[in-house]
Amino acid sequence: MQISKIWLQDYFKQSIDSVDLDRVLTMAGLEVESVKNFSDLSNLIVVGEIVGLEKHPDADRLNVCQVNIGKKELLQIVCGAPNARLGIKVPCAMVGAKLPEFDIKKAKLRGVESYGMLCSANEIGLSDDSEGLHELNESLEAGESIKDALSLKDTIYELSLTPNRADCLSIIGIAREISALTQLPLKPEIIIQIESKFTSTQIVKVEDSESCPRYCGREIRGIDNTKKLPDFILNYLESTGIKSINPVVDITNFVLHEMGQPLHAFDHKKISGAIVVRKSKSKESLKLLNEQVIEFSGNELVITDDKGPIALAGIMGGETASVNQATSSIFLECAYFDPSNIAGRARSFGLNTDSSHRFERGVDFGNTLNALNRASELIIKYCGGECSDSIDCGSVLPERHPITIRTKRVSDILGVEVPADDVQKILKALHFKVEKNSDNFTVTPPTYRFDIAIEEDLIEEIIRLYGYDKIPAISPVVESNMLRSSHKDKSTYSIKSIFSDYGYDEVITYSFIDKEVEERVHGNSNYIELQNPIASQMNVMRSKLWGSHLETLTYNINRGQSQVRLFEIASVYKKNKLEFEEKMIISGLVYGAHTKEQWSEKKRQVNYFDIKGDLEGISVNSFDFRVPENDIPKALHPGQTAALYQNEILVGWLGRVHPALQQHYELMGSAYLFEFTLEALTHKKIKQIDIPSKFNPIRRDIAVIIDKEISTGDLVKAVKNETIPLVMDFYPFDLYEGEGIEEGKKSVAFLILMQDTYKTLADHDVNKIVESILAILKNKFSAKLR
Amino acid sequence: MEHLKKLIKEAELDFSKCKSLSDLDHTKAKYLGKTGPLTEAMRGLSGLSKEEKPKIGAFINEIKKSIEVALLERKKLIQDEELNFQLKSETIDVTLPGRKQAQGSLHPITISMNHIQNLFHSIGFDIATGPEIEDDYHNFTALNIPKEHPARAMHDTFYIDKNHVLRTHTSPVQVRYLKDNTPPLRVISPGRVYRVDSDATHSPMFHQVEGLWVDERVSFANLKGVIQDFLQKFFEDESIAVRFRPSFFPFTEPSAEIDMSWNDGWLEIGGCGMIHPSVLTQVNIDTEKFQGFAFGLGVERLTMIKYGVSDLRPFFTNDIRFLKQFEI
Repeated sequence: MQISKIWLQDYFKQSIDSVDLDRVLTMAGLEVESVKNFSDLSNLIVVGEIVGLEKHPDADRLNVCQVNIGKKELLQIVCGAPNARLGIKVPCAMVGAKLPEFDIKKAKLRGVESYGMLCSANEIGLSDDSEGLHELNESLEAGESIKDALSLKDTIYELSLTPNRADCLSIIGIAREISALTQLPLKPEIIIQIESKFTSTQIVKVEDSESCPRYCGREIRGIDNTKKLPDFILNYLESTGIKSINPVVDITNFVLHEMGQPLHAFDHKKISGAIVVRKSKSKESLKLLNEQVIEFSGNELVITDDKGPIALAGIMGGETASVNQATSSIFLECAYFDPSNIAGRARSFGLNTDSSHRFERGVDFGNTLNALNRASELIIKYCGGECSDSIDCGSVLPERHPITIRTKRVSDILGVEVPADDVQKILKALHFKVEKNSDNFTVTPPTYRFDIAIEEDLIEEIIRLYGYDKIPAISPVVESNMLRSSHKDKSTYSIKSIFSDYGYDEVITYSFIDKEVEERVHGNSNYIELQNPIASQMNVMRSKLWGSHLETLTYNINRGQSQVRLFEIASVYKKNKLEFEEKMIISGLVYGAHTKEQWSEKKRQVNYFDIKGDLEGISVNSFDFRVPENDIPKALHPGQTAALYQNEILVGWLGRVHPALQQHYELMGSAYLFEFTLEALTHKKIKQIDIPSKFNPIRRDIAVIIDKEISTGDLVKAVKNETIPLVMDFYPFDLYEGEGIEEGKKSVAFLILMQDTYKTLADHDVNKIVESILAILKNKFSAKLR
Repeated sequence: MEHLKKLIKEAELDFSKCKSLSDLDHTKAKYLGKTGPLTEAMRGLSGLSKEEKPKIGAFINEIKKSIEVALLERKKLIQDEELNFQLKSETIDVTLPGRKQAQGSLHPITISMNHIQNLFHSIGFDIATGPEIEDDYHNFTALNIPKEHPARAMHDTFYIDKNHVLRTHTSPVQVRYLKDNTPPLRVISPGRVYRVDSDATHSPMFHQVEGLWVDERVSFANLKGVIQDFLQKFFEDESIAVRFRPSFFPFTEPSAEIDMSWNDGWLEIGGCGMIHPSVLTQVNIDTEKFQGFAFGLGVERLTMIKYGVSDLRPFFTNDIRFLKQFEI
């Protein structure tokens, strides 16, 4: 909301110049977002008259203007504005002038000297209008400073108000607040009396009195809606950023911004029959003032006449009964609509009006008639006409209940003692009704305070005026109990550190991704879609992280990276009928060179076994890498993918990117992807530890020939499953195919490590063990000793 | 006897001609071997008289010793030379780069999150997490933001369906935590949150740490104390001051914006307040017995200030050149 300082001053007895409004308002919770001070505008911006204009010799769009600035000499200024033409008067910033965004210097534009700049309204901070030069009134004198010529003396404050402070959505509301904060007295409130010249024949019926507890109105006949309003009204509206439409509408807008009370004027001749305030009926529709046609659901509050809706109550009027310059008699509506019955309705039609903004936050229900009178007074004063008596359909208005506030509670909550005298003074300054009973106060807030309902609300008011800066910073003193450990979360960090130690860079990518990526990369069509995505490439919640990681890979390849190793720990999302499932997973991608090119290593591309080794290390060998049975993720190469099992449960995948995807992402080499549940690493059992034997282990190597298709892992598993006594380890250390080995076969060399706790193993013991291992391999895999 | 004495000089000369230990061994035999002159001379002692025998014997022994000394000296010299040669030939260029896998890095948000969690954990805060696809009740209603309340417009919310949103803050985690635990309690909830907003300082996804403390007597002043303590430790600067500025959040009363002193000015870094009684009542906490405070901090914002990063977007584009600067 924009607030004009000059307008604000009208409500104070004395000058408010001494108040640092920016700080005072901000520190009271009415945040000042920006301050525009027109008196700061440079005196070197003057009224300039274009008296000569020629096309620039070397630039089609530029003109070389000769500008009269009230001196003998003309200023030559090169200008590109499309509306530059002979005879007009515009703001002219001379060399040395400081504009809000930049300073004016002598310049050469395409070889032609330019001694200043002709400006748009936006360039000198008058308004947001940046369309061409700001054309000034012809009567202004060339050379006079813009500031004087337009009497620019005002300071405009842009406030960012929180939704609880409905009472501050008006000049009077802000003035009230400043008065309470600074003790500067306000001028006494004037209760306006209107002399009625006739009795209104308009019938008004409020059918939904819960949504509309009070509906006031009056007829005004014989107005001239072509009159010019006095400058102060027009200036105030302009300073608030409101466009002038016609006198009656301008006056209702003026009162809205002055008092915070929205009003609506209907052209009375366009109303047929009784005005009824009721809920809409479904299939009814209304063409609004902004020409939008809305269809009602049956849930909205509407103002109707005999023919149907003529206004969307509290939000916007309809076109049929709208006021224009030809209007001579009006029905002026001033009502109190219940916030909960307005809230959300405007947004449901994509609207946000000054009126709905106020009604949904709460409009002062104690000021309805006074605001009606204020607007009536201004209309007959400036547009002529006569007023009827006022119509007042009231039912049960809300009540402000007294609240008890305990001084002890104030200091308990705040942690600082506020003297009882100060409490009372503060509450009175805010126009609360205060009664003191021993240590407590009974407080009744005024009708315009919709945000004060409980003791804590009052405590906030007290500290707000007493000063948030008076709150000391005190460390709490409490009993110290140890926490149950939250190692799960901590170990997530240590898992990340281990990945980092293995050379992986951690990334954080968006949880949403392009629907097409979900389909193309993961074959997922049961995705969770966002109703209002910020961009189409972020329209669904991802079911895996690989899509994001492939995109991160492409991003980095395009920036010259040849080795990419990245990982992320994040949630993935799945729809399960109507439920949503989230699971934390660890996921990553490896691409390019095995290591950075270095003098001592042969250059080579990373391969499956490099990453498998990393994962074996990171998981402390707790994963079983199996040939997948089915359901291989679509993103992976079916012949180079392992399913990761832990305690017979599938926990993840490791594999090479499917060649089709590799081609889609135009990758020069293979990329590898992995993922597994975070839980697989965070949940670890406490192990029982063996004391090592005093004796040296004995090693025996055997090489066997088996069918090429047999997985080496199956041999290892078969041997380990037999738990042969004294065998400590059994693993393959060499693989050979080719010359000397039959076609379709391979030779695998295994290392057997054996040890006894109590003695050095004798040859015959060792041989027995080797024989039993060979027997397993022969029986189960038809292995032959090489 | 004189010819024996000469042997010393001859041996010394011969030894000095030896270039290797094997040469030396060979030459040694010529003088000290079984057929060498000294052995022969020793053998000849048997034919001498009783008086002469010890005299000559001692003389021969002396010569033998001298030759042995010369041999040892030469041997040592050759060994030294050989060692020197080995050392010289084995010299490497120690300035060449080490052989390694490149060091990885942690994302700056992870680094900050871990720091924040450790600091709060150190004064007894538990850590809680919860779902990111949240129902309307936990994200809004339970936090005193009923449907259609204007305060909902403060959150630009991503909607999944009528009843589900991407959580706009991590406060719903706290609602769940309050339901499952009884006061006194202290907890922070870190995690990803979502708002429909995107520019240099706003991201549709970002990270928050929200905290709350419910006890019999924890006050607004305590809230300020905890926040100030935290900021001083996080930025490792004990001179940091905290300013509270009145504000509005539906779930706290009184509410405040948190400003932090930084480079002669104030920076807004989060929101906080005393937990609204209706939030506590929702989870069956007696507001006459217990009170508490809550705060919310933007992790990206804290991280940007700490590392002097002026744009939020690089945190999510994941350019390796950006990430590698956060090696640990």
